[in-house]
Amino acid sequence: MKPVDVLVVGGGLAGLTAALAASERGRSVALLTQGSGALAISGACVDVLGYAGGAPVRGDPLESLSLLPAEHPYRLLGADTVRQSLEFFTRVCRNADLHFPLPGQANIWAPNILGGFKPTSLYFTGMDRETLAAAGRLVLPLMPWLKDCRLELAALELKKQKRLKDKELLTPKLPNPFAGVRRDPTQLDLARYVDSPEGEGRLLEALAAYAGPDALFLLPPVLGVLRHGAIRQRLTEALGCGLAEMLAPPPGVGGLRIRNAFMTALSKAGVLLAENARVSGAVTEGRRCLALSCQGPERDRVWEASAFIIATGGFLGGGFVSGPDFAREAIFGLDIGAAPERARWSAESVFAEQPYSGFGVKVNAGLNALSPGTKGKTALENVFFVGRSLAGYDWAVEKSGNGVALASAFHAARQC
Amino acid sequence: MFSSAGPGLTCSGAYDPVDESEARVIIIGGGATGVGVLRDLSMRGVKATLLERGGLASGTSSRFHGLLHCGGRYAVSDPEAARECIEENAVLRRIGGACVEGAEGFFVLTDQDDPEYARAWLTGCARAGIRTEQLAAREALRLEPRLTPALREVYRTPDAGVDGFRLVWHNSASARRYGGVIKTYHQVTAIETRGGRVTGVRARDLRSGQEHLLPCDFVVNAAGPWAGEVAALAGLRVHVLPDRGSLLVFNHRFVSRVINRLHPSSDGDIFVPLGTVTILGTTSAPASGPDDTTPRPAEVLRLLELGGALFPQIASFRILRAFAGNRPLYAPPDSAPGRGVSRNFALVDHEAEGLAGLAGIFGGKLTTYRLMAEKAADLVCAKLGVRTPCRTDKEPLLPAQPPSLLRKAARHFPLSGVKAAAERAGALFPLLAERLAQGDGTELLCECEMVSRAEVEIAAADENVRFLHDLRFRTRMGMGTCQGAFCSLRSIGALAAAGLLPEGEPVAALRSFFQERWRGLRPALWGAQLREIELGRAIYAGILNFDGIDDEAC
Repeated sequence: MKPVDVLVVGGGLAGLTAALAASERGRSVALLTQGSGALAISGACVDVLGYAGGAPVRGDPLESLSLLPAEHPYRLLGADTVRQSLEFFTRVCRNADLHFPLPGQANIWAPNILGGFKPTSLYFTGMDRETLAAAGRLVLPLMPWLKDCRLELAALELKKQKRLKDKELLTPKLPNPFAGVRRDPTQLDLARYVDSPEGEGRLLEALAAYAGPDALFLLPPVLGVLRHGAIRQRLTEALGCGLAEMLAPPPGVGGLRIRNAFMTALSKAGVLLAENARVSGAVTEGRRCLALSCQGPERDRVWEASAFIIATGGFLGGGFVSGPDFAREAIFGLDIGAAPERARWSAESVFAEQPYSGFGVKVNAGLNALSPGTKGKTALENVFFVGRSLAGYDWAVEKSGNGVALASAFHAARQC
Repeated sequence: MFSSAGPGLTCSGAYDPVDESEARVIIIGGGATGVGVLRDLSMRGVKATLLERGGLASGTSSRFHGLLHCGGRYAVSDPEAARECIEENAVLRRIGGACVEGAEGFFVLTDQDDPEYARAWLTGCARAGIRTEQLAAREALRLEPRLTPALREVYRTPDAGVDGFRLVWHNSASARRYGGVIKTYHQVTAIETRGGRVTGVRARDLRSGQEHLLPCDFVVNAAGPWAGEVAALAGLRVHVLPDRGSLLVFNHRFVSRVINRLHPSSDGDIFVPLGTVTILGTTSAPASGPDDTTPRPAEVLRLLELGGALFPQIASFRILRAFAGNRPLYAPPDSAPGRGVSRNFALVDHEAEGLAGLAGIFGGKLTTYRLMAEKAADLVCAKLGVRTPCRTDKEPLLPAQPPSLLRKAARHFPLSGVKAAAERAGALFPLLAERLAQGDGTELLCECEMVSRAEVEIAAADENVRFLHDLRFRTRMGMGTCQGAFCSLRSIGALAAAGLLPEGEPVAALRSFFQERWRGLRPALWGAQLREIELGRAIYAGILNFDGIDDEAC
């Protein structure tokens, strides 16, 4: 294999972003992936910072980054980098007909299929609580055949919202297009069906009876995967009213839309992609990494590069490995700052900030890992850590997962 | 569907109203022993009501290793307990087939154990009537390839697994068919007496907060590790020492039969495959109180270390969770705590202490629950002048399911799943089979344990299923690999649609369900299960924002 300028490891949003951004800088890039990271389980929104110190971030999250502790990845990166990475993201998505608003605006509250809301930064226009509050009536088409998206509960829960409780709420039942199929369909199955002209037509037909100028449809994420932008536009025009999607549990239809946008761009940019690749070790010399060895589906392979961007995620993505008596970063075996006593890994409340969620690779402002025990000395000067590999933040509690992934990956690409 | 099953039931599964003033006996405690007493008395025609402060089987009956003892564990130390175990083992296989799993166990002597003990053990087994058969080491390793190759002797014994949740539920269903009444989430607040005789019980309905007076002729204290607290309500001192045992649940069956270590009973020496998992038990230490059931990381690490003697690769096996329960050890005030105290049970008639109409059934173990219940019911019947003999050792807990019903249900649903559902649903299976046969509610809400929507809805309609935890005990949803991340959300969605939501706000119900699951996940936070937990956090914190403040929510 010919050496590349930049080798990126990781198929989630951080890995895709790093590979595309490095490629746009004229570098030759190879991307090794094992899966799709959290994109396969998440919605089509970018959480930048939903909560700081337990309180909701109400304005532009970029203006609240100073509230975070000094070791937080955002503080290392700075607000300008975060903003530029979000602009990069919206441009990549726009090219795939996915229209996110530009950064620099206040957080919005995105609805979910339980009838709750989450503060997020970038989500499709018209899919937030303000749109719900402005609608004359809400239509929740029930699809009892989607076991992960039973909107009967959302209908009850939406009524517990201050500005929604007196709204007219219709819950018509939609016919099952998968009747007779001996498998439990998911929202992803339906979204893929809606990608087809037949599926789009049948959805339009089912919704048409409940349309009206002041109505707003609230759907699970089913408006296509590959052609979401066009489908939403056509259905909105044909029905003459708003269409909002609610965030839902996996499979992550929205995340897969974003993945598709990036994969298309990477392919156009000529980035070399190796899927099902598991990095098993590193070849290092002094403070430089020379190559990563990799177990592929057919044979083992050594990938040489000048720079390496590690976007392998944390405990969920497989970037960290752990057992009864250890926890470390998976490729280089780096320390992730895990407390020696297990009892101190977690909080008593399941929904509290979890100490283990702050474990990660400690880096300098250039995203190089710091050697433990040395003051600011980098372990490997041409290896950059991005996304959930980084120490010092709880993405789930803060609602900052995609934001940190984008900003750190974008920044790392600029170092290569 | 119940029309021929017994008195007190109508075809819809609802119960005729029972005049509580007629209840002659009140049983305190909804574990195996309590429901066993209720069933026994109900079968003898004695009107009885059971009060349980939580859900059915929420105490020790759901917090043990799931071993149906053959008695081998007590063969040397406690011959009487050994004999009771082997006898009740045979009875339970006969009457509770749906709750009992597996035909045999191994007792394994490793190179770390004393061969002399094996001699004494064999003698003890023979004396108690426990069948043993020595197996060549090679044959044992062929049958259980993950066992340590450093084994010296292996014996076959009639051990088995027993599902405590199911045992309690099927006993309760049987008791109710005979007219027994069960009130869960009812805390006993006082035992009323007059002239040295019990006249009734005061209980608070924990959901409404209302207190009721239930008059009765006799009270049976079957509160397990809480028995001391219950006795204190009558001004009596009973020495029931809650002895804490922690256990580990592994994600898969890495053994095909019960494995005991052949040595004097100690910690971390029992492996029980049950359903889709394997359980490793147990530790033993005095509990700070009967509610001290939160497992700790140090206990998990210790169990792994001890378990390694039988299964050297144990540290690499995926742990689902840990849990802890309290043995209700009964002891005279001056005896030593822990394993030194007998696992035997004691039936105490407090009339000897000057209070008539109150008896306690203390100590014991799940394997002998039925015998304990029989002894308690015998005493009650003698006091009340009832002469009907006990039949609980003869009549099966469940009516047999005709094979045609299984085949019918399997029309749209995998047969293996149908069999598991039949064992869980018990007497409600005909109703479930009818729905599955019509393809109604066949969606799998829990893929790990193959639980259909129809099963969840039928279980949730039961008056004793009040919370998601009750639903979990009843159906096993939430007990598999995802620990509820997917199935609890699906279940609550389905229940909202069916108008069967559990107590309280739906989101709050999910929260408390996850909080309880978290208790058992925390002490073994590593490897694949930590990954699973992060997936759960991605869903509930990352997507659904269960943790964040929303000030527009009322």
